[in-house]
This record gives sequence, structure tokens and C-alpha cells, in this order.
Amino acid sequence: MARQFAYYPGCVAEFSSKELNKTTKALAPMLDIELLPMPAATCCGAGDIAEAKPNLYLTLNVRILSQAEEMGVDIMTICNVCTLNLRRANKLVKDDPRLLESVNAELVKAGARPYEGTREVTHLLWYLATEEGLSLLEKQGPKGLNGLRVAPYYGCQLLRPSSVMGFEDPDQPQSLERLIVALGGEVADYEAKSRCCGFPILLAREAVALKESHVALSQARDAGADCMVTPCPLCHLAMDAYQRKAEAANGTEYNMPVLHLPQLIGLALGIDSKTLDWKRHMVPVDKVLEVVGS
Amino acid sequence: MPTSTFDIFRFQPDQGPDSYRQAFTLEHGTDLTLLDAILRLQDEQDGTLAVRYSCRSAICGSCACKADGKTVLACMSQVEDLKAQNGGQPVRVDPIGNFRPLKDLIVDMDPFWDKFKSVKPYLIPDGPAPEKERIVSKEAMQKIYNESKCILCAACYSECNSLAADPEFVGPAALAWGFRFAGDERDGQRHNRAKLYSGEHGVWDCTRCMYCNERCPKGVDPRDAIEKLGGIAFSEGVSWADAGARHAKAFLISMRTGGKLNETLLVPFTNPIKSQLDLPFALRMLSKGKAPSPIPHKVKNLGEVKKLMKNVKETI
Repeated sequence: MARQFAYYPGCVAEFSSKELNKTTKALAPMLDIELLPMPAATCCGAGDIAEAKPNLYLTLNVRILSQAEEMGVDIMTICNVCTLNLRRANKLVKDDPRLLESVNAELVKAGARPYEGTREVTHLLWYLATEEGLSLLEKQGPKGLNGLRVAPYYGCQLLRPSSVMGFEDPDQPQSLERLIVALGGEVADYEAKSRCCGFPILLAREAVALKESHVALSQARDAGADCMVTPCPLCHLAMDAYQRKAEAANGTEYNMPVLHLPQLIGLALGIDSKTLDWKRHMVPVDKVLEVVGS
Repeated sequence: MPTSTFDIFRFQPDQGPDSYRQAFTLEHGTDLTLLDAILRLQDEQDGTLAVRYSCRSAICGSCACKADGKTVLACMSQVEDLKAQNGGQPVRVDPIGNFRPLKDLIVDMDPFWDKFKSVKPYLIPDGPAPEKERIVSKEAMQKIYNESKCILCAACYSECNSLAADPEFVGPAALAWGFRFAGDERDGQRHNRAKLYSGEHGVWDCTRCMYCNERCPKGVDPRDAIEKLGGIAFSEGVSWADAGARHAKAFLISMRTGGKLNETLLVPFTNPIKSQLDLPFALRMLSKGKAPSPIPHKVKNLGEVKKLMKNVKETI
């Protein structure tokens, strides 16, 4: 029987990076995952609402957790930032019953369901990078990545702070590597895989942010990667949509295709190019398709 | 007796302009901190090996360095633990990052102290001092307890990704101290502090890489302090001047009008002039379907969200 999750794709996957949402939905049934919609779930605030109105951030995120609780399932995300914001709120109220009580008082006053603190939040990457998850991939008999050299790019907020995230060692993460190898790819390793892409300040401090993305893009290029893969649509925007800008700002070229994690898996499992929606990428993925023979 | 090898960054400017690495081997008992190891190497093998230290007890904040690429207090790190983590390899020791090395593990801390002073890290009460002490409740102190634990070791600066890209970024520890005083009920400068910390290279320059929270040896969580300073900027009404604050405001407007982020509002709202000049980029995004409809998507039960936005009070 398929494992059910309350599906929280996050705003970016629903709007500007629709290819991520579309691919995830196509992939889920192949991996025995049933993604249940959350029609009343809001944005997690992306760290911005926490930075403007911390109590409001907490209450809005607990409202989302409570919706999953009502559905009787845990939450699955496909975005680093959503994962951190939801997990942080969850930890804050689970660790402090008095805080949960005061948040629930606000929820009830607004007509929302109170939260009992019984749900967990996981990311698709975490679900798949376990023995159980890898066996789900194996069952599909992946046609494989044909030795594609993939640079894993974690970004920040799926790893740190480890007191909230906790899936793996933030300084030596291996989950993406495990998936790349299981799918028949080769890992292009580089130091900056868990450094910041600059996205949170990209609109407000573009020059600084483009220096940040340069570090990972240039290192991945120098490691001989055919492409990068990321579990986060915000990292994807910074690395793909803004890549030409980063090239201009740093006086160099990367020509680095950047894949969403579900796209890489979908490619290895033989999902068609129309569903993977490559045409929405700013940096063409031709060399990736050439190596994989898609 | 265990034997350990250390691969140490060396820089002796009076000997030559280039840094180099040197391997040292030491026999030692099972309990040995990295600082004790360095001091024994200095004492027994090479008197020129330079390190800054004082208390040896994780309170003076002098001995921060990198062990296998990760910033630590040398006096808080057991050599055997480091070896267990790196699979028994030589322990790689480097000075903290984002600062200019002066000699071996000693870096130039002047920029750090300049930034620290720039946040006015002291109480500035309104009016003359009372005749007796100012009594502060436990609850009021609890609000700034985390930030009060900072020992200014600069571990949070060492791997700060904003600082690596912008050397003028005020940085995590200084901003944590900023909150320690902005959040102190005895301080009379909350509004002015909100303005001071909200400028270029301040609160809104933090890229949220979370390295500061991860590395702080005292649990200060500087990123959380920066976030709270953002909250103070909003509660003090200084949230329009900076693009970073307007970015956050766009999320609040999106939340009120639909419950989901309105990305088409976010760009021009954050940076109205720049977004006009960036028309070619906007057109490229549009051609790839990356400019969503400006009509806000509305979540189910939006009324609940609107009520929460009206009712929930901030308590920073």
C-alpha cells in the first residue's frame, strides 16, 4: 500500500518552478507514495515572516502542522526552506507545552484547529535516501544515468541548524550522493556543496548573492560535473535562473545545467522529457540528456 | 598511549610571504584537548608555533580555530573525538576563516572589534541613573538570555557566507550583541538601534546560511538574534527603508491577500527601481514561464489566516 503524506510543495514549486511540482507528482506513484493535497495550507513564510513577525510565523506554521494532523499523516516537502520553517515551528511547540497552548489559543480564536504535536515533517530526499527509499527506486529497475557526473548541491537549510534538521551530518552529508550512485551516476565532489546559494538576499542584495552562488557553481564546474542537482527550488532559482547573471558578475562561464532532485530521479526512471519540463530551465540541459541518452 | 598527527597551517611573515603546512606527531594520554595538543607542540617541538589563548576553559573566546574545516574552540575539542570523526586521519588545523592570518593560527581581529563597537554594545538608558539599581524581572532577562552568553570568539564569523561575500557585513556576533541591548528593557535606544542595525551590511544582509547557529560553541544562535532584530525593525516602524525589509513586507502582503507567496509582487516591491532596469532579465524569466500570474492564489479558509494576522501580537 502506498505511503501517504500531506504534500506541501511550497509556493515556488507551485508557481515559478512548476516543473518541480509536476515532476514530483509524476514520480510519487512510481515510488509508492501518495501525495495528499493541503488546500488550506499557506506559505511557510520562507524565513521572511519569521524575520518580520516571529509569533505570526510560528502560529501560521503550526496551523499547517495541524492540518496534517487532521489528515492523520506526516508532511512531505520538496523545498529546503519550507522544511526548515515547518520543522522549526514543530520543534518549538513540541519542546514547550506552554508555548503550544498559547499558539493553540490563537488558532482556536481564529476558527482553526488546534495542534496536538503529533506530526513529523520530512523532505522527499530524506525519505528516499534511506534503505527503504533506495529499495523503492531499485524496484523500478532504473534505466540509469549512464555515468552522468552529478555535483550534489545541498544548500543550507536542509542541513543547518542540525538541532532542527538532524537527518545527517551537516558537514559530511551523503544523502544526495547515495541517490546519485544508486541511479547509476557518478558523484562530482566539491567543498562548497553545502554553502549558501545566496537566494534569501538575491532580490535585496543581488551583488552579494551572486558572489555566493559563484562559489558552488565554479567549484562544480571545476570538479568536471555535467550538471548539479538540488533538493531546493530556491537554490535552483539562484543557480539556474540567475546563472547568466552570476557569470556576468563574476566574469566567468559555468554552463552548468541544474536539475531539481525529482527531475534527476525521473530521468533515471525513464520519465519523459515533456513531464520533466526541461524547457522551463534557463540553462539548457542538452548535455545531460546526451550523456543519459534520453 | 595514543599517537596523533596534526597537519597545521603555518604562516611566519618574518620568514617568508607564503603560508605552508607542517605535520607534527604527538604521543598523548586519552584526554587531550586540541589546545593542549597545540601548546605541547609549541613547548616540545616548535617554539615558533603561534596560537592565541587564555582561559583554556571555553569562556575567554580566544582559541577559536578550524579543526578539519569546522570552526571550534580548541579548548573544547578532544583530539580523540576529532580523530573518531575524521576516521583516524591527521587532524587538520587552520586559523578561523574570513579573517587575515597574522601568524600561524593567529588572525587580525581588528575588523571584528570594529564591527562589535559599531553596534554600541552597552546599555544606553533614557534619563539619569536611578538612585538604586534597576530591577529586571526574570522573564525580561530570559528574552535576552541566549545573546548574553556570547563570548566573542568569532566562531560565527569564520564560516559566515554573507561575510565571505561582503567583508563589510556587520556579522552575527555583533548583531547578537545588538539584540542583547535592543531587547533589554533598561535600554532607551530601541528605535535608534533598529535604525542603526537595519542599514546596508546589517540585519537584512544575512543570507541565512545558518552556519553561525551551527558553529556557536555557547548556544547563542546568532541567526535567531538577527531575526529578532528584524522583528524589532518592524515593530519600530523602520521597515520601509531597506530592500530586505520590503522583501519581508511583501510576504506579509501575500499572506494577507491569498495565503501564498505572490512572486510577481515580490520582485518590484523589494526593489522598485532595479526591477524596472532589469527588464531584459524579466522577459527571459517570462519566456520560461517563471513569472507567475499577478492574481493572488487564495488558499482555503483564508479567513482564519486573516484573523491570525489581525490577532497575533508580537512580544519581542
